[in-house]
Amino acid sequence: MADNWRPTLAIALAFLLAITGALVFATRATHQARHFRTIDQPIHGWMSIPFIAHTHHVPPSVLFQAIGVQPREPHDHRSVRHIARELNRPVPEVIGDLQKAIDQAKQPPGGPPQ
Amino acid sequence: MSEQLLSLVTQYGPPALFGIVGIAAIGVPLPITLLLIVVGSMVSQGAMNIWLALAAASAGSILGDQAGYAIGRFGGTAAVEKLSRVFGKKAGLEAMEAKAHAWGGPGIFLTRWLLSALGPWINLASGTAAYPWHRFLFWDILGECTGAAIYISLGRIFSDRVLALDSVLGDMTWAIGALILALILGWQLWKRLRR
Repeated sequence: MADNWRPTLAIALAFLLAITGALVFATRATHQARHFRTIDQPIHGWMSIPFIAHTHHVPPSVLFQAIGVQPREPHDHRSVRHIARELNRPVPEVIGDLQKAIDQAKQPPGGPPQ
Repeated sequence: MSEQLLSLVTQYGPPALFGIVGIAAIGVPLPITLLLIVVGSMVSQGAMNIWLALAAASAGSILGDQAGYAIGRFGGTAAVEKLSRVFGKKAGLEAMEAKAHAWGGPGIFLTRWLLSALGPWINLASGTAAYPWHRFLFWDILGECTGAAIYISLGRIFSDRVLALDSVLGDMTWAIGALILALILGWQLWKRLRR
């Protein structure tokens, strides 16, 4: 009799686990969707400069200038990793310069708020 | 590896997209949802043509899926086991084979874009279970075109929120997967308790 209950118990536990998982992920998705517009968008090595400029709402020329690179015409699709290799600089350092340029470009005129 | 693949797509466009989604469809775990969203964002920035992007994403995935089906169908159990060992999914293959028969076309359709992690294993299982090829091809084309259109369009609409969107979609997919599993288990439990 007890043996008959074992698979049922296992299914019941798996069911509870699945329900919990569904709730956890649904809650996380809802939380992220709520903060969709304010979630920080980190810069990655695979991103191109126009892509970073678009996601951070700054002109691409500002970013190219910040890392001292002349953009290629008509579209410069080189990734940050690729540019860093060309400049012979570590990727995190180039990303740091880009982030600094973005922060500066987003600052209101007259410096940061007191 | 994901970073390098994503930079290949941003640099080389549709040909890179075609190759990467094809490899992923065979079973290599790659961030295809993020890739398609990034492509959508590139389309919105004028860096890629939308029709080329849709064609490359759909055609690459369909070819990869067909390769998976062919391995299952003609490669025999040994080839499938080898592939399963490489990607660490051996234990689930028999279950997938049963699902390929039980779920049929809608199962193939949904695992192309909604439960895409199961896609490569459904391809193999459909082949080993000798699921009719013309039906597999029909549902495969329908599912892959739907998936490419959905994710590229989402990337196009939310082109400046690519990573946030990927994060939300990732959690939503897990939530839906867990909910489907809960429904199946709940149904099994209900049947057992009624006996």
